[in-house]
Amino acid sequence: MTALAEDLRTVADGALAWVDAHRAGFALGEDALAVDGEVDLSWKPLGELAQVCATVTRLTEPADPLHARARGLLDFAWQETHEGELFLRLQRLEPFATYPLEVYAALASAGLRHPAFEQAAAVVARTRGWRLTEQDPTRRLGVLRAEERCGVHSLGQAPPGLEQTWLGGLPEPWTFGRDAGYALTHVVFHCSDWGCDAAAVPPVLVAYLTDWLPPWLDTCLEAGMWDLGGELLAVAAVVARTTGEDPPADAWQRLVAARGPAGEVPLDDRDLGDLAAGPGDADGERYFLHHYHSTLMAAFAAVLAGARPDSPPARAAAGHRYGGQGAPA
Amino acid sequence: MEQSGTSTRLQAAVQDLASGVVSALRGGDHAHVVPPAGTDGEAGDLALAAVRVLGADALLPGLLSHTPPDPAELAVFRKAVEAYPPRPDAAPTVRWSHWAMARTLRRADPSSAEPPAEPDTAWLDGATWQVLTHQLAVLAPLALPGEDCAVHRLAQHRPVDVARGFVRAVRRRDWRQAAGAGRWLTLLPGVPDTVGLESGLDFVELMGGQDPLVALQVQAARRMRMGARG
Repeated sequence: MTALAEDLRTVADGALAWVDAHRAGFALGEDALAVDGEVDLSWKPLGELAQVCATVTRLTEPADPLHARARGLLDFAWQETHEGELFLRLQRLEPFATYPLEVYAALASAGLRHPAFEQAAAVVARTRGWRLTEQDPTRRLGVLRAEERCGVHSLGQAPPGLEQTWLGGLPEPWTFGRDAGYALTHVVFHCSDWGCDAAAVPPVLVAYLTDWLPPWLDTCLEAGMWDLGGELLAVAAVVARTTGEDPPADAWQRLVAARGPAGEVPLDDRDLGDLAAGPGDADGERYFLHHYHSTLMAAFAAVLAGARPDSPPARAAAGHRYGGQGAPA
Repeated sequence: MEQSGTSTRLQAAVQDLASGVVSALRGGDHAHVVPPAGTDGEAGDLALAAVRVLGADALLPGLLSHTPPDPAELAVFRKAVEAYPPRPDAAPTVRWSHWAMARTLRRADPSSAEPPAEPDTAWLDGATWQVLTHQLAVLAPLALPGEDCAVHRLAQHRPVDVARGFVRAVRRRDWRQAAGAGRWLTLLPGVPDTVGLESGLDFVELMGGQDPLVALQVQAARRMRMGARG
């Protein structure tokens, strides 16, 4: 096993083990169905857990311990939703909210489905009002992908609205910033069905990302933005599944070095001192909130980067159109 | 204390000199930017050292406008070339910068001595795009239309890497490096269009242009782009 392959395996194993050990942090809690419940602290983390684990199970062999762990976490997430029943109840409370469908779609992509919810979602999704829900273009893309996964409609070759996103408009790469970064990573995740269909990313975006990911990644990691850095590593891995390029070894080394004692990855370097100083807080909610997403993203990126490429070598040539200029990171 | 005072005064002299070059590049006329020779003592030493620090770009306005240099200006430039030969252990960028001055002198005054042999580019073999861009930005005076030297040829093979370095420099708010890289990008074939170089140069000037060393590179890049179009 190469040093890079070892790094990828170390990150994936450690991150998913930490997530597993802290699965209670993803539990929905009492206010999951409350009208004023905090979705970002309940349904959102659970949906993110489900999404990452769905991809991990699809890209790993059943005999791989990572696969079994991800499968176990998916079952846990499904149980938290009472095997999908809570989505139906959530929809009755907020029929035109899109997040129930978005979270459900992550579970559905792993084969965990609730037909009655899908039928109910389709009724709502047929309205003009649903289709006219005002959302930023990247989120809209996510909702369309969720609808496709739930059988509401088919997304087709070119996702509508792609050109309205920051990435789809091919902006000057030096205008990249934190918000643009999170938008672009999600455009790639939605286009590629969270890494499972890398070939669905339009070639023009693959070429653009091949050119500009290196400086974005370099500057995010240098600034200790581990969460966005992890997402960009995942994007690089999606792109590499088409181009056949090697993962950026030095970027991965930096992420390995940024991990906490149990394999968890911090959101960023801010507040880390405070978090470490708090006695007995290492298992606390603050620590969880500062680590869960970046740790999930690290596992996601590492599994994607370590998986076999989708493409035959003939297509890989497209990734080397500059004669292998420079180191990727 | 004295040393840091000298260093501050040298930096100020370099900034003044760069401001003069920027004005001349903006005006398009050949204003004299190199201070007259004959100033003795510390002021004269400082002026000479400033010319050495700025390097070949001290004569850039005349070079780009194909205007014959002023003899007095040329005399100071020549003195700076002769007064600061690179030490045997000098960094490659110092050796190249001196070579660029000797070559500029020869171009401006064909009666001058032949420039020394080109230094090598071995130190850039296998350089990461980050290191490459940093070193090229330091050697921005070599980024000239029609230039044919080993550094130029090396840069021509790595346009995407230099463009990545430009993006990195802007993200890190390293305006001097961004401006130097931007100047190289105006000359390199194969730079991806998506980099948006014209608005990128405007942005670098907006954010860092109050530093004459940034403004100089941006102006040089603009003049060379205009030249390429005309």
